[in-house]
Amino acid sequence: MSEDKEYFTIKIVRRPWYEWILWGIWLFLEIVFLQSAIASHQELEQRAAMIYWLIVVVLSLTGFVFWIIRRSRLL
Amino acid sequence: MTEKRKKISRRDFLKLAGLSTSSLAVGSFSPPTRKKSVLPHSKIILDEAGRMKRPWWVREVDKPTVEISWESVKRFDARTAARGSGFINYVGQEEVNRLTKIAAGKEKERLLQKVPGYTLKDQALSAAQASSSSSKRSFLGLQKAQTPEERGVPTWKGSSSDAARILRVAMRHFGAATVGFVELNEQTKKLIYSYDTDGKEIVFEDVDIAYETTEKRVIPHKAKWVIVYTVQMSADALKRAPTAIAEQTTILSYGRALDIQIKTQEFIRGLGYQCLGEANVNGLGIAPALAVMAGLGELGRHNRVITPEFGPMVRIFKMITDLPVTTDKPIDAGIMQFCSSCKKCAETCPASALSLDDEPTWDVQGKWNNSGHKAYFEHSLKCRTYMMEGAGTNCSICFSVCPFAKKNKVWLHNWVKGGISSFPTLDGLLRSLDDAFSYGAQKSPEEWWWLNLPEYGINTEQTIDED
Ligand code: SF4
Ligand code: SF4
Repeated sequence: MSEDKEYFTIKIVRRPWYEWILWGIWLFLEIVFLQSAIASHQELEQRAAMIYWLIVVVLSLTGFVFWIIRRSRLL
Repeated sequence: MTEKRKKISRRDFLKLAGLSTSSLAVGSFSPPTRKKSVLPHSKIILDEAGRMKRPWWVREVDKPTVEISWESVKRFDARTAARGSGFINYVGQEEVNRLTKIAAGKEKERLLQKVPGYTLKDQALSAAQASSSSSKRSFLGLQKAQTPEERGVPTWKGSSSDAARILRVAMRHFGAATVGFVELNEQTKKLIYSYDTDGKEIVFEDVDIAYETTEKRVIPHKAKWVIVYTVQMSADALKRAPTAIAEQTTILSYGRALDIQIKTQEFIRGLGYQCLGEANVNGLGIAPALAVMAGLGELGRHNRVITPEFGPMVRIFKMITDLPVTTDKPIDAGIMQFCSSCKKCAETCPASALSLDDEPTWDVQGKWNNSGHKAYFEHSLKCRTYMMEGAGTNCSICFSVCPFAKKNKVWLHNWVKGGISSFPTLDGLLRSLDDAFSYGAQKSPEEWWWLNLPEYGINTEQTIDED
């Protein structure tokens, strides 16, 4: 059995260090706003929850678009 | 060996396990401290004086954030407070009659029109809350608990921090949200009323035992510790202000405070000491001032105390004892500083009773304000008139719109409170964001009857699970 078949190989694209930091910040913000959206809902602050959900969606889309752009090496 | 092992039944094993754990616990027991926690969550361990752990952004300070000129402070005559029974002294009986008539008319009209928050069920709820807290409020307490003398044992002895801790723990168990202690000295004695709300003089005398006559209430000089405590109001109810639903949580907090007072008086008597309570609603001393000195919170623009834990969603009460306790320091959590740029309560006050000044001032608005400190003094007559003429219930809008009136589930809010404390330049932006997120907007009174709320509508774990 060849080694390739025995292991999964995860390939991580080489990126400059500042891009990883940006992705880290993006993930942190996603978590914070997601928590805010869920907790606001529990606190019965519906309007605040709605705004937080909106921020989560916009942030996710931004991340997705940025990922596509980087993947297709447009940037 | 195997045989022997087999003979130990499950029951024996449990017994053995229980014994060994308890002997271990006895052997190793020492009072838990915050540093060496024996419990899983460090926030449930109190310090030596029974203080709970507060968020990092609450700093203890030597002087409160409200500037005080102690030489100018005079003991206040509670009869001149305009929000309470003193209102009549300013406006006269005729005006009170007129306002009472308007209030009664409006109440009937709202009932008939089924205005949300003022319907029969809302009014019945509020009236029901008022029904339980009737007559037992007293300066000297019930005096029914057995004293150590009656039990034939010596008076309780312990260090002042032990005393503070057991008092805090007992009072929290009776229903208080937070408890603080202030020592009465030449300055802080000025925060005890000269005359109580019912007109009795409050005097300090060189006597051993406190007493009360038809003219005066006497506090022995040796009773020099003020116990100040907060009682939570339900944020979910107050967010419906001004309605009977919001009003009832205020009434409930007063009822619960009375219960706490009576029990604390009896508890301290049971230890062999004296505890003197509020003989009337809002009696004995200036609640916000004492709470600020006890480090329970800071004075807000609306002249109510804003606590780091519950914002303004509390009522404050006080007692005096001769049980020596470790006292507390005032705090600075950036709250009063935030008020200078916030102004939300003043902008939303329907009676325009609150100050819109940029900075606090020494100049009072009327005799109902106590001079000698720098504050955003309110026009209490306008406030009280609005309550009778407009709201028909108590108002509390200034409590419900306050940005500090949030609950503590959202991490971001707790970090923002830290930011307020450390970076005052952000205050203006944060106030705008508060508006954008629609915090403080009045919630549907009808919806309240559908909410699955905890007992009393309050979160009793707010001081424990805050991050
Ligand atoms: S209780 Fe109402 S009327 Fe009185 S100061 Fe507050 S907001 Fe104004
Ligand atoms: S609403 Fe704003 S100005 Fe008023 S007490 Fe609260 S923080 Fe201070």
